[in-house]
Amino acid sequence: MTALPLKQRFQLSRFVLGEKAQAGEITLNQRRIFILPTQRGLNFVVLIGLLLLIAFVYNNNLAYLLGFLLASVFFIAILHSYRSLAGLTVRAGQTTDAFAGESAGFEIRLTNPTPVARSLVSISLENTETLALAADSITALTLYKKATQRGVLTAGTITIASTYPLGLFRAWSPLRFDMKALIYPKPAPASSPIPEAYGEQTYRGQLKKGVDDFYGLNAYQPGDAIRHIHWKAFAKGQGLLSKQYGSEHSGEIWLDYQQTAGHNLEERLSQLCRWLLDAEQTGLHYGLKLPSLTLEPGHGQAHLTTCLAELARF
Amino acid sequence: MPVSKSHLLFILSAIGLIVLPHVKHIPASVFGFFYVLLGWRFIAVWQTRWLPNRAVVLVLSIAGIAILYRQNLGILGQDAGTNLFITALGLKLFEIKAQRDLYLIVFLAFIVASSQFLYEQNVLMAVYILLVCTLLLATLVTVNSYRTQTRQALKTAATLILQALPMAIVLFILFPRLEAPQWLVLEEDHKALSGLSEVLEPGSITNLGLSDQLVFRAKFTGNIPPPAERYWRGPVLYYTDGKHWSQPDAQRLQKPPQLTGEPYRYTLLMEPQSKNWVFGLDMPGTVQSPLMQQANYQLITGDNPEKRSEYHLIAYPNYNTGELGEPLQQETLRLPGEPAHRIRELVEQLHGFDGPPQAFIDRLLNYFRQEEFHYTLTPPLIEHNPIETFLFETRHGFCSHYAAAFTYLMRVAHIPARIVTGYQGGELNAVGSFLEIRQANAHAWAEVWLQGQGWVRVDPTAAIAPERIEHGINIDQQAVSGALSFAAQTVRPGTALSWLKHARQTWDNLDYNWQRWVINYDNSNQSQLLSSLGINDIKTLVYWLLTSIGSFTALLSLFLLRKTRSQPDPSRLLYQRFCRKIARHGLTRHPSEGALAFAGRINSLLPARAAEVNRITHLYLKLRYGQHARKTDFEQLRKSVSKFKA
Repeated sequence: MTALPLKQRFQLSRFVLGEKAQAGEITLNQRRIFILPTQRGLNFVVLIGLLLLIAFVYNNNLAYLLGFLLASVFFIAILHSYRSLAGLTVRAGQTTDAFAGESAGFEIRLTNPTPVARSLVSISLENTETLALAADSITALTLYKKATQRGVLTAGTITIASTYPLGLFRAWSPLRFDMKALIYPKPAPASSPIPEAYGEQTYRGQLKKGVDDFYGLNAYQPGDAIRHIHWKAFAKGQGLLSKQYGSEHSGEIWLDYQQTAGHNLEERLSQLCRWLLDAEQTGLHYGLKLPSLTLEPGHGQAHLTTCLAELARF
Repeated sequence: MPVSKSHLLFILSAIGLIVLPHVKHIPASVFGFFYVLLGWRFIAVWQTRWLPNRAVVLVLSIAGIAILYRQNLGILGQDAGTNLFITALGLKLFEIKAQRDLYLIVFLAFIVASSQFLYEQNVLMAVYILLVCTLLLATLVTVNSYRTQTRQALKTAATLILQALPMAIVLFILFPRLEAPQWLVLEEDHKALSGLSEVLEPGSITNLGLSDQLVFRAKFTGNIPPPAERYWRGPVLYYTDGKHWSQPDAQRLQKPPQLTGEPYRYTLLMEPQSKNWVFGLDMPGTVQSPLMQQANYQLITGDNPEKRSEYHLIAYPNYNTGELGEPLQQETLRLPGEPAHRIRELVEQLHGFDGPPQAFIDRLLNYFRQEEFHYTLTPPLIEHNPIETFLFETRHGFCSHYAAAFTYLMRVAHIPARIVTGYQGGELNAVGSFLEIRQANAHAWAEVWLQGQGWVRVDPTAAIAPERIEHGINIDQQAVSGALSFAAQTVRPGTALSWLKHARQTWDNLDYNWQRWVINYDNSNQSQLLSSLGINDIKTLVYWLLTSIGSFTALLSLFLLRKTRSQPDPSRLLYQRFCRKIARHGLTRHPSEGALAFAGRINSLLPARAAEVNRITHLYLKLRYGQHARKTDFEQLRKSVSKFKA
């Protein structure tokens, strides 16, 4: 760890936000750990004052001694507070991507390489996890942060804190890691079905022709292809029904940005996202066409993640 | 964080223990009320439906206030405050919802703990309170731990207290002691303290209780006076109506006596007294404020006697008080009426009217010795003419009877005489080499004025029971058997009794030092101690305070934080040693080069050492990354690296 210039060392943001984000491991030491009395600690000072007042009024030496003892305990608690965090190493782990509106997960690996057990350590991002760390132990845990916007979400400041041993002081260390989670677009409501595979030429030879393999009717939903509407039923006054074709379960389709309907970029990406999820779920082989890039059709979780990641970065 | 069952058990036990010693000082109703609430809360830890609702808590609070109100204690003052805090503590137990409430209870408990010291300040109480404070801190530790581990919490709390003690002691010594301003001092209740009284009435006492309660201690620098010279002077009684003997009005000493002989220098540590009498060894030399010497040579103090106090005194074994003034002569010769015929006959028989005074005294003492006079602590009750009845009929009595009878007979023979009360003897504490004087050492003797010698001490009890003077009363035995014994306290060394005696003396010595250095440490002690350390002004004091706290903190940090540095892996250290050796061949490992790759590079350049290098690399990798590394592997690595020739 390099020494900090004096000006940087006294920046107020270090106390709250932590230092500049960095990759790799951070060891908690005197530069990273801050200690301030809690509300209870301040009340304890008032208590000590009261005890000394009693001692003073009654000129009682043992009451003085008790007051001084508690004052010394208060003072020494600072060292113990520091000790509750000092020497721990923190490392960024995996991140869990999420859809906008959900919470992204940031894994933190907390190592106690010292022979001193830590009885209370809390780690917080938006949620707070509390744990104890045995001597020479490693713990991994995941913190969550709510994602509001599509794109890249940085973890921000992760605060490690402890009020051990007496709760009179809080030692804390704000840490920033180079941790980024991808935030996929929020999937559009399941109202627009996957567009019909319009490029029949892409069908693989062994697959049946999907358009012929009629298997049932569904209520019409906006976006259904007009030629799939069951006009006869409509004529009978049964309302708008769409014909569904079996080929959609085994076919290969292209999901194209240009095909999406929506008022703006985000809505259209949401639509694409919904299609990707539905296609994966129904077992289709699907490719993704964005104005800037094309992903060849594929299938499986890995393929889905690649596609979703492209949407997030778009 | 919610409050768990174990937190509750911890805190309830702690405050149960902290209030317990107050049983002696607070009214039974308040004490009972508190423990009923505590017991109730304890049950409710397991049976949560027993928890009272808000209405019941309100009723309980009103009941608590009513109990306090009935005691008529007011609001201010130590009794009122203690009762108020204990009641509040009890009521607060039913309102533990969050950790905040636990903290409030712990803080209240610390105040109750400190109020305990307003009543009792002995070593045992201090240790007890210290232990309970550890328990209170342990409660806070459990609240601030992820898992509740009772032993671990207690250990942490004890560590904190032990580490805090040295700093607390430094603060205790250096913190300036000031007298509280007058408006802050609250009126204290006067407590009944037993001790000598102003009036002596020998005939009315049928059972003189011997209490081993400590009255004062005397620590001598140099010689300790022999038992027969240990007379500690108290009130001097002149006036008598034949039954009671009482003091004259206080008068300041006008003419100090002529003092000769090797002086005894000593420090007198008085326990709290109800009267302002200070028992100086006969005959006290000049005294300093706050002490005053009265015309009858008794010492009195101008300070509050209910506080323990320390005096540096000097005493001379020989003295001559010189001429007797006319008024004093009349007062010390005055008889309540015409003496009885039998008494006049006795004085005449002993040549009190025609012989020299000294001869009469000797004959009278001899008379006491040879006739059937007995020393007893359970004399018969004498309602009329106590002196005459005692001399001719009952003939059983203790020091007061003999002193009164003797003084009376002296006055009949026209020798000025008076009774001196005080203490006689005292047990030598061999451990601390000081004398301890207890209530059982209370004594009364006579003083006669002789031409050319002044006031001379005569102890008629010594004629009846010389052992009483030589050895003192055996308090322990008296307490056990009820019988009186003056057995010489020679306990054979090595026996259980001698161990017991030694243990008791060690304890008394500890108590003496505790009283002297801790309880009694005040403004004057402090300035004395500080100036002996070279601290004479506030600047030096602050300097000392900061230096000692600073250096102590530095030491403690070193001790506490040494283990929070991660220890380098010992096998890695060995490997680094190997790398330094290999470096002499011009081969250095690149930062990104793995151990295996490095070994490959070495082998290609130093094929002769391949076996050794491979062995070391293999062992190192096994120890550092392998699953089944054993201790023997480490030993092998250590040997291989040290054998490896650079």
